[in-house]
Amino acid sequence: MKRFLATTALCLLPAMAQATALEDAPWAPRAAAYRLTLFLGNLDPMPWDLLDSSWTTPVAGSARDIAAFENMTESETRGISQALEDQDRQALFLAATDVIENGILRSLAKASDNLGTPEAAQHIARAETLYRAFADGIQAADRSGFHQNGRAWLALNSAVGSAGLSQAGALEADRDAFNAARETIETYLMQNYTAADFMPRSTLTTVPETIHSSGAEIEVPVALPPGSNIADQRELPRLVLQFEEAGLDEADMPLVAYGDMLFDSPEIFGGPARDLGMACSTCHNRSDVNRDFFIPGLSSHAGGMDVDGSFFNSMFNDRTDDHLDTPSMRGIRFTAPYGRDGRESSLRRFTRNVIVTEFAGKEPTPFQLDALIAYMRQFDFLPNPKIDDAGRLTDLASEAAKRGEALFNTPFEGLNGRACATCHTPDRNFRDGMTYDIGSSEAPFEGGTVTQFDTPTLRNINFSAPYMHDGSLPTLESVVDWFNDSKSLGLDDAERGDLTAYLYAVGDGEDPYQVFKGRETTFRLAWEELTTFASTLNTLIPMQDAENIALLVDTVAADLAADASTMVNQAAKADVYRLSSLLRAAGDASAGDNWAEAAAAWDAFKTLQSELDEAMY
Amino acid sequence: MLNRRNLLAGLAALALSAPAALAQDALKIAFIPQENPEKLLGDIDVITAWMGEQMGLSVQGFITFDHAAAVEALRNGDADISFMGALPFVLAEAQIGAEPLLSEVYKGAPSYAGRIFVRRDSGIETLADLQGRDIAFADPVSESGYLYPLDLFVEQGLFTGTDGAADFFGNSFFAGGYQQAMQAMANGLVDAAGASQYADLLLSPEQQAEIRVLAESVQIPSHAIIARPDLDAGIKAQFTEVMLTLNEAENNHLLAYLYGPDGYVRADLAAYDGVRDMATKYGLLE
Repeated sequence: MKRFLATTALCLLPAMAQATALEDAPWAPRAAAYRLTLFLGNLDPMPWDLLDSSWTTPVAGSARDIAAFENMTESETRGISQALEDQDRQALFLAATDVIENGILRSLAKASDNLGTPEAAQHIARAETLYRAFADGIQAADRSGFHQNGRAWLALNSAVGSAGLSQAGALEADRDAFNAARETIETYLMQNYTAADFMPRSTLTTVPETIHSSGAEIEVPVALPPGSNIADQRELPRLVLQFEEAGLDEADMPLVAYGDMLFDSPEIFGGPARDLGMACSTCHNRSDVNRDFFIPGLSSHAGGMDVDGSFFNSMFNDRTDDHLDTPSMRGIRFTAPYGRDGRESSLRRFTRNVIVTEFAGKEPTPFQLDALIAYMRQFDFLPNPKIDDAGRLTDLASEAAKRGEALFNTPFEGLNGRACATCHTPDRNFRDGMTYDIGSSEAPFEGGTVTQFDTPTLRNINFSAPYMHDGSLPTLESVVDWFNDSKSLGLDDAERGDLTAYLYAVGDGEDPYQVFKGRETTFRLAWEELTTFASTLNTLIPMQDAENIALLVDTVAADLAADASTMVNQAAKADVYRLSSLLRAAGDASAGDNWAEAAAAWDAFKTLQSELDEAMY
Repeated sequence: MLNRRNLLAGLAALALSAPAALAQDALKIAFIPQENPEKLLGDIDVITAWMGEQMGLSVQGFITFDHAAAVEALRNGDADISFMGALPFVLAEAQIGAEPLLSEVYKGAPSYAGRIFVRRDSGIETLADLQGRDIAFADPVSESGYLYPLDLFVEQGLFTGTDGAADFFGNSFFAGGYQQAMQAMANGLVDAAGASQYADLLLSPEQQAEIRVLAESVQIPSHAIIARPDLDAGIKAQFTEVMLTLNEAENNHLLAYLYGPDGYVRADLAAYDGVRDMATKYGLLE
């Protein structure tokens, strides 16, 4: 008997296309190194230092905290090391593929040697965890091979038998069945993953060699490497929408509701971002920041990434490793210009830039941009009673913070006679709309001009660490130290403490995180959001706007069905699938220009939604 | 000394360091293998360190080959405590007098069911439709992943006993775990899967939408943490109290290192009556 692993989905296949968080099951260390090698090996330029550490140090997302090298033979280690030293991409791919194939073969041999003992089942399990490293390529390229191997793994697991429990329920091992299944898998591996026989590949994939060498065009679903985290956030930021705080209902504001939907929709992006289920909200979750976002090779640390590399939009590849810390979008309407370098004064133009250039989406329609902007303009800061409307500290602030306020407003020679408050202007939401070179970046070439960066707001910064454009400083303390050292401010320990206390006071906010309790679950939140998005059909169906209905349905119906897996009330899961189907029906009817049917399906959706509402948690 | 059967040879030395012949200032805990043996090794490092810190004594975790080895380790004192399913527990109770300390809680209850899952597009509407078709169960010594789902067919008179299953189904597999059984069904390798009621959550959200429940068993007590009968009462009580603190918000994250329940409650001995009856029905208990 085996155990239930977790209450969230732990997918044994690589995580792929979905908008809902799917926790990737931990990988065997060698499989983790192999998968990471494929991902990094397809970046341009290749990050050789990271490729090296993929094998020599434990990989995040591994089941165990050990390096792949620790489970490899000497000759396997030599092969990988040589390829890394030579920076030879193809040789590395071949050596890495050998590691996985050989590992499976060795475990199968051990299982055979130990057949009839409980040890055999463990060797089969270990072989299967390595086979997982190839599985997505086989599934995408060779359905019959995938089926045949899958049945062979079932036969192997069955053939090892069971000791039962002290003779009760014992099953004898079946040597013949074991041998037959083992031969099936070994033959397939030797035909398809014996690296010496590989033809060169322009893209490193797990597609079986017999399929690859046939010249067949195979599209393996995009997968992120082990250690990636794009959707699993420890604490969900609280979203403050101006109209909501004023008592209005988003369902009565169709443009805002549609913009909210687009903000959560992967459909407006292209390429890998869309296929991975990424949306604006993946990074700017609930108007703030997904501080846990991390993709190896793209992120130097959690909470940001290099947005102009080769992965998301090769057309936009600047071939420079320049991680950007994801900025919070709280109060975005008050914080122009946009982009860390302040390159756009218009939020609308900047949004278009994110969709089209950064994430390879199609040109958004004016309506879509109108909707996105209408929604984003509703983002407000978290209220902070420690500051007044002019950005001055109130009586709720500490004495240390008040001493810090004075320092904040004091001109320093090291700041060219300016004060911190000159740029982080308290009565302008602690920013000034200007860009500066403060010495946080280097010129792209000797004698070149250093990129200037936008003055970020200090409001609610307590919740958006790390700091600076590249996220290089982990805490507000370290920010104060950096300015003190680099600008020779001459602050002593006590003064630095006071200045830090001031930053924490102005950077504070009430109830920064969403609280989930009882039936107020993450699914409930998703339910309310998704049904609000769907409410725009009240406007779109009478307008017979098939294009925007299709986009809405592709987003909301898929998310509803996927989010059902996160329900606490699992008994009602099938009802959510019914609801999702009704939305699909409305979309299909509108696509077929059958507006009466679309309206009927939408009405049925609303009726069922109302009936189900109480059970939706 | 531990015999070869008790320990999973060739895995990490830390998890496998022989726990035999230690004084009772150390606690030896047996973990049952799961689908992903590498993950369990990593988990044990974390959770035993935490337990040791909380209890003020050395806690050693080790993975047994299977339930039989865990029971054997409890019998001869190589293990003080073991994680265990309800079915192996009632057998261990009969054989060595093992005592349940705690039960896992999932979705608010210390019990769950076994289910038969099929793909929505399979056209399979009843258990009888599975005659001559292929099915994957989790493991032969599993209540929710074998015996209880199997009993659904027996209760409908489709066959009798475990032997009757061989004639009824086309092929019947033991996939090696819930997840493997569910993936086999979802990917079309077999027509049905017999697994825990929560095993669908081991599929991707998209796969979950493509399958449905064909039948569900009666409730089964959830997995337990059990102790050898002669373990010091003070240690049993202290261990139980420490484990119950995992229900507190600040410790909740540690549950992910323990097969991922929502929490624990004290075990209720009477809750296992149904399992004892089921074990007797299938000849596992006299």
